[in-house]
Amino acid sequence: MSTGWSLWVMFLVVLNLGITLFLFLWGPRAKIPSLPDQTTGHVWAHGTLREGLRPLPRWWLLLSASMFVAGIGYLVLYPGFGNHKGLLHWTAHGELARAVAANDAKLEPLMRRFALYPVEQLAGDPAAQQLGRRLFDDDCAACHGRGARGNQALGAPDLTDADWLYGGTGQDIATSIHDGRGGVMPPWGSLGEPTVKNLAQYVLGLSGAPHDAKMAATAEPIFKATCAACHGPDGKGNQGVGAPNLTDHVWLHGGRLADIEATIRDGRQGHMPDWDKRLDDGQIHVLAAYVYHLSHPDAATP
Amino acid sequence: MAYRHFEFIEKHAAALGIFTAVMVSFGGLAEITPLFMEAHAVKAPAGVRPYDPLRLAGRDIYVREGCYLCHSQMIRALRFETQRYGHYSTAEESVYDRPFQWGSKRTGPDLARVGGKYSDDWQRMHLLDPRSVVPPSNMPGYPWLAKAAIDGADIQARMRVLRRLGDPYSDADIAAAPVEVKGKTELDALVAYLQGLGIDNEPHPAVATAKVGKAGTP
Repeated sequence: MSTGWSLWVMFLVVLNLGITLFLFLWGPRAKIPSLPDQTTGHVWAHGTLREGLRPLPRWWLLLSASMFVAGIGYLVLYPGFGNHKGLLHWTAHGELARAVAANDAKLEPLMRRFALYPVEQLAGDPAAQQLGRRLFDDDCAACHGRGARGNQALGAPDLTDADWLYGGTGQDIATSIHDGRGGVMPPWGSLGEPTVKNLAQYVLGLSGAPHDAKMAATAEPIFKATCAACHGPDGKGNQGVGAPNLTDHVWLHGGRLADIEATIRDGRQGHMPDWDKRLDDGQIHVLAAYVYHLSHPDAATP
Repeated sequence: MAYRHFEFIEKHAAALGIFTAVMVSFGGLAEITPLFMEAHAVKAPAGVRPYDPLRLAGRDIYVREGCYLCHSQMIRALRFETQRYGHYSTAEESVYDRPFQWGSKRTGPDLARVGGKYSDDWQRMHLLDPRSVVPPSNMPGYPWLAKAAIDGADIQARMRVLRRLGDPYSDADIAAAPVEVKGKTELDALVAYLQGLGIDNEPHPAVATAKVGKAGTP
């Protein structure tokens, strides 16, 4: 605040306090002319109500006086009187820093203990599960769901099964959270609709689902030449590039024939945001442990 | 000062009203006037730039649909807020928000730093049908946004008005607006706006490279 505005605030504070303090001190001493019946002569309702002249009760005077003491004391101790910082040097940001430091200090032994264990071992720790659950609900549940079962419409994977796009070790999970993941299935509509349909039958066949064997056989060379680059010649996927295993019964974007055809024809984009700017390494460690726990609920307590 | 002066005030309602108003106004004059006047001196920090055309369109849709009625964009300097939403909000971040979207009510979460927290696809699905991604959500869906196109000329007019108010848009920025919003829907604009809310307010190459010349003067 500029000096001019600071003086403006000080002036108004002094004026306001001055007027009220004057009235407070002068009021009880003011000479008020009274009638013989000890009233002021002010009447309402044709004389039924008359204004008396009694001194103010002591409790009221004390309460009022204490208000002045509290008000002036506040302006001395805390910011409020223009640019005066207050003797306590209190600021909202300082208060925040203290609250954060106090909370960090409270969590510190816990976080230090968590850091001793690898993710896989920490997953069995009830305290880590509890803290991880809070972080998961706030940051991950929007896409993966509260129960962590994923969202096929969005392409968010189920985290409770044993199927991992980018690897299921503790380190893999922590990396996925820290750096995010971008999954790209290119669109293959350019191969022509008959080929797309044949490929879909072949993909169905990979997981042993009922399919048209003739169409699948037609598509096999195309799969080996094109899709195998990411999904592997046997369709078991590649965790290095996040290509899903096509031989299991887990479907990221839906396992119905129409879903598979759409996936091949139009491609799919998966986007897991990176969390390193929102969560610190300790939090990511605990969160990874919670996610690991979801698919390994029987892990022992470390 | 004598009693008769006070008797006059007591007996004349108009005088009583005027003096009461004067006394009551002290609080506002001391607390509001300096902040109001000094607000004009707040300058945009580095990294905070005026909205690019698409985000500007999104910002106006955000206001039109009343998102501020349930979502604040003001992270207070309190531990439980900064822990959940990130660094507390500063006045400088909102210099190009007219009107600012701080809000005063949270039925949904604060959005001041929501940019990048979720994927674009998530934002789309969530705006069209919130329960498709968050089953217990009570947010209404906004399916019509996907069908409404953005009008480039309209955005240009808005940018010109904002330039008069002091936003440093260059002639080139305004000329490029129709191209930037061509073929975009209101949904695209709102998602772009939401994904830009956050740490670096408005990173955008077109505006970033435009030097503040005569366009910078109001």
